[in-house]
Amino acid sequence: MERFRFIPRRLLQAIPVVFGVTVIVFFLIHLLPGDPAQAAMGEHATAAGVAALHQKWGLDKPIWTQYVMFLDRLIHGDLGDSLFYRLPVTTLVIERIPVTLFLVVYSVVLAVAISVPLAAFAAVRPGAIRDHVVRAVPLVGLGMPQFWVGIMLILLLAVRIKIFPVGNYGNGALEHLWYLFLPSLTLAIAMAPIIIRSLRASMISVLSADFVATARSKGLPKRAVLFRHVLRNSAIPTVTVIGVNLGYLVGGTLVVEKVFGLPGLGGLMVNSIFNRDFPVVQGAALVLALFVVLIGLVTDIVYTILDPRVRFR
Amino acid sequence: MTAVVAVAAMTLAACSSGGSGTAGSNSGTTGSGSAPAAGSGSSSAGSIAGSGGSGASPTTETGTPVSGGDLVIARAADALAMNNTNTFDNNSIFVFEQIMEPLFTVTDDGKGTKPWLATGYKTSDDGLTYTVTLRKGVKFSNGDPMTSADVKFSIDAATATGNDGWGYINAAIDTVSAPDPGTVVFKLKYQWAPFIADLALFSNAIVPKDYDGQSADEFYQHPVGTGPFVWDKWEKGKALTLKKNPDYWQQGKPYLDSVTWNVVPDGNARKLQLQGGQASIDEYPDWSTMDDLKSTSGITATTFPSTQLTLLTMNQQHKPFQDVHVRRAIAASIDRQAIVKAVLFGNGTAANSILMPGVPYYDKNTKGIQFDEDMAKSEMAKSSVPDGFSTTILVRSGDSTQASVAQILQGELEPLGIKLEIKQLDPTAVKTARNAGDFDMLFGGWTMDIPDPDEWTSFAVDPDGGAHADYTWGNDPEIVKINKEAQKTTDTAKRQELYSKLQSLAAENSAEAYLYYSPYAYAWQNKVHGFFVTPLGNYHLEDVWLSK
Repeated sequence: MERFRFIPRRLLQAIPVVFGVTVIVFFLIHLLPGDPAQAAMGEHATAAGVAALHQKWGLDKPIWTQYVMFLDRLIHGDLGDSLFYRLPVTTLVIERIPVTLFLVVYSVVLAVAISVPLAAFAAVRPGAIRDHVVRAVPLVGLGMPQFWVGIMLILLLAVRIKIFPVGNYGNGALEHLWYLFLPSLTLAIAMAPIIIRSLRASMISVLSADFVATARSKGLPKRAVLFRHVLRNSAIPTVTVIGVNLGYLVGGTLVVEKVFGLPGLGGLMVNSIFNRDFPVVQGAALVLALFVVLIGLVTDIVYTILDPRVRFR
Repeated sequence: MTAVVAVAAMTLAACSSGGSGTAGSNSGTTGSGSAPAAGSGSSSAGSIAGSGGSGASPTTETGTPVSGGDLVIARAADALAMNNTNTFDNNSIFVFEQIMEPLFTVTDDGKGTKPWLATGYKTSDDGLTYTVTLRKGVKFSNGDPMTSADVKFSIDAATATGNDGWGYINAAIDTVSAPDPGTVVFKLKYQWAPFIADLALFSNAIVPKDYDGQSADEFYQHPVGTGPFVWDKWEKGKALTLKKNPDYWQQGKPYLDSVTWNVVPDGNARKLQLQGGQASIDEYPDWSTMDDLKSTSGITATTFPSTQLTLLTMNQQHKPFQDVHVRRAIAASIDRQAIVKAVLFGNGTAANSILMPGVPYYDKNTKGIQFDEDMAKSEMAKSSVPDGFSTTILVRSGDSTQASVAQILQGELEPLGIKLEIKQLDPTAVKTARNAGDFDMLFGGWTMDIPDPDEWTSFAVDPDGGAHADYTWGNDPEIVKINKEAQKTTDTAKRQELYSKLQSLAAENSAEAYLYYSPYAYAWQNKVHGFFVTPLGNYHLEDVWLSK
């Protein structure tokens, strides 16, 4: 367990990152024109009513005071109440984390499931036709905008041939797997080409390494050499690539949740921006930032598991 | 159905174009009700006016209704609150109307009322006392019978909201009394023609006395009423579900086991959910997708006539809009057909009157001011600014409908020498500017809540109507006088005469340029039967059934 000592330190390092995110999010959203009190009260808003809400929400105070109040509540684990839904932000955010988390994990699993066989297939015969095909075709997926891929998948597999549902995410893990397949595939299609390229390149270099020649000369079956020795040793750069891209993936969920009408964190955040629901935007952004920080940490943990020689300080 | 004032008028179009997630979240009126009137009260407005309007007529359903099934409605934005006495948001209203019902309800043509929880009423000779008989055997979903005490409590609670809620609608009510469990007596302060129409508004729906022993806040977390559906659960921002009321007073109804409104902000996602079978009804299909939906097998996409009017508001506090010739020139320079084509994809009609075709006393013969370049030029020549001027129009940012109309307008005003600058502002900032009178022109509009024109005309033409004559800051004494007279006139023929005159004068005066009437767009799977929307926007889900 010695090698996991870096974890608490990493978590400490996350604090300034998260603090920076609160500053940026808080001031950016307050810079936007538009008044949440006016939005909440709608057409029926009277000047007195708007002023009363400003006072209730502390919007009449100087922005620095508001920021200090926000931080003070945050330290006490309170993200405030949604101005629009009139519920605690923590409740709203926690309700939606599972959808987004499931989506992210599922799409990584799908991306890996697509990439590993293809990369291995290509790497075994570098320069052959199959290698060119594997390198070129998935790039199309990278080049297509996600919302378009999502819509095409829906039209094909949910509307034309009704195999998968559109929207919602079902009840229970099995239904989640079914409901979230298309959105996850949408994200995976964009991510797979990057993984394939990186994995293929590192597999080719590992394949020519001495220990692979040794393994082969020992008489190990081809498959065992490829998956037990080559894949494991080629995985580290790929894990980095996945880790870096997971940050983008979380951003991608915003688009995919909108296209598929999923009740996730991204959808909540987009709607709250339109409603000028400051507390929810702050809360959701904070959670997404934590998410990205945690992904970095998990990436490092995976390194140390894959390669015991890796040490973080 | 909610009164959609000024800039909020384009809510429907706006939300269907972008899915900003705020559809209908901002409607209502700030009108303080209308001035007291004398004269004799009457039952609801007669259905005199010409029909017409845009879109299809109600679909006639064939087949025998079957019970069972869960209806899923995909909508652009979530409901906000369930308190019927102070909620102005359509997404909320459409839901709580299924739980709580009023004494009278609006007829299918939207122009009259019919008894609902009441069976009828009598008016005293002086028109000041209404004696309403309640329907027997109506129970709340908690099992208690509905009595006159509940009615008194409900109406009094609605009235008490005053200008903070829909209470101003009840401004004519002096007292409500309950002489016996089956009778309610309303005494009015003055004779008031729209009284029964007012009672048909959702804000006057009946709830159990004393909120069934709870506080108002607690009660409206999971309201109880006499309606076809009862509260089930609400995951805010995601979905709201009601389930069947097995003891509903209309025997055999409702047919559905449950109704769920799913929040799907993106218009394309709603369309795909409908096509994929996850949604039974799309509450706000984009105009741009209507043709696509119509050609999808198994799906019905149609429009229902509405009372929605979109108009151009000109601020008479700002030069040169106090000049009637300038306003008339602008009104005549607008090609309304082109706007209907560009914005509603042809699903609408050019407006001729301050009233909408679905409103009683609408006069289809009102000439109005239509697209007429020669008239525009000659009016400009007669005006104080014959060589033109520069002005601005406020447009809600992100609202592609308003942006398109503003661009069309910009091109059309150019030949008159009017340089129009389009200013985009955040929607809430547009409202703030409008309320403060800090604008030259902006888009406004209205949809009716009650089947009587007074709600809108008083707001639109009367400087005392609560909103500076719909933010024009105009005041035409002759029009105001006719409007006040119509409030107290019970004779329908006489009232028609007055409202026809008002429509004609208002168009000539052009305080606002009436642009177009847009219908309500809905799309549903063919297995949905009996779905119908009145011109006021209400839908009755107790009549809806799903074929197997």
